Amino acid sequence: MTGSDLDGDDGLAIDVALGALSRDALRAAEARMARDPAFRSNVEEWQRVLAPLDEATPPASPSPQVWSRIMAVIEPAPHVAAKPSVWSSLGLWRGLAGASTALAAVAAVLLVARPGVPPATELLVATLASEGGASLITATYDASRGAIILTPAGKTDDAGRTPELWVIEGDNPPRSLGTIDLASPESRVIPAERLKGLKAGATLAISLEPKGGSKTGAPTGPVVATGKLTGI
Amino acid sequence: MSGAAALVVLLDRAATGDAAAFKNLYDATSAKLFGVILRILNERGEAEDVLQEVYTTVWRKAAEFDSGRASPITWMVTIARNRSIDRLRARGSRPTSPLEAAIDVRDTALPADELIDASDDARRLHAALGTLDARHAAAIRSTYFEGLTYEALAVREGIPVGTLKSWVRRGLLRMQGAMA
Repeated sequence: MTGSDLDGDDGLAIDVALGALSRDALRAAEARMARDPAFRSNVEEWQRVLAPLDEATPPASPSPQVWSRIMAVIEPAPHVAAKPSVWSSLGLWRGLAGASTALAAVAAVLLVARPGVPPATELLVATLASEGGASLITATYDASRGAIILTPAGKTDDAGRTPELWVIEGDNPPRSLGTIDLASPESRVIPAERLKGLKAGATLAISLEPKGGSKTGAPTGPVVATGKLTGI
Repeated sequence: MSGAAALVVLLDRAATGDAAAFKNLYDATSAKLFGVILRILNERGEAEDVLQEVYTTVWRKAAEFDSGRASPITWMVTIARNRSIDRLRARGSRPTSPLEAAIDVRDTALPADELIDASDDARRLHAALGTLDARHAAAIRSTYFEGLTYEALAVREGIPVGTLKSWVRRGLLRMQGAMA
């Protein structure tokens, strides 16, 4: 190539594509790209030329928490579920609203199902809130991954008991999805077959059970939060 | 459908707010982007922070992606590189350790066995880099892979910054000529 202005724009375009500029100089060059299409094309051409260099870079797996953090940022703010009539009517759960010291749940809990779930694209979201309307947790079910991602949204007090996640489908009795631990977020496996068939309209709930979870197969302790799954 | 075409579809759907498509895009591309970020930052926690920023940016800007201007992966890797380099600059003068591919290493070309799996574009690029003076080619690789400024790399390698800049810029121009 002849006639290149290496001390001017052509050199600058190379520097931007390489990433060789200082912070300030890069910001200035990016502002220039935004208003100067020819310069932008010049930079993009060099980015295209250099991009194959990245093929030699070995891929690396980020931890699963990164996706749940991304999810928490991009998710459109889910509306707090309507008053959970299903749960109110069960009668098992009254007198629970009092519990409220701090169980700070900062990070997300990721519950990953075993692979082998048939692919689907629907995402279902439920905001699980207390009777008083305070959000406790957002649950996102991704059928294509067979996983539920729980993102804590508030605090509750587990009073030394084990939170357990339940689903109510139609008029069926509550079905356990497993125990969860809001205090120390960690990956847990919910068997895919338990998650399979979760549909919009089903209600999720968290009850406080004896250590290790309900022994009866039905909720026995107070319900601290409920919410309806809705498609997004 | 080629890999790139599939990514274009996923980006288009993400632009309409399709979170499931975005998840598929993440699954298909995050390991590649994380590798690039990790290479520049060399620190896992920081690299994961940047990866998160990159994908929230991709989600927000998906509608701005123009398949006529760049391939989806090049577009995303460019965002990842820029974010990583910005984070690297924000660290200030924290020392960086030289990679194996420092300029005084004679041969920093991709090993032949890795080239077997390389795309045609990568093969042509490495062939063109191979026509350059070995130190010039190594300077180009170091600048690109490590995200260092000319000044930082010049200090590390004990070369005047003007010399380094000239090696890199003129080297790239010659390389482009060799690929034409």
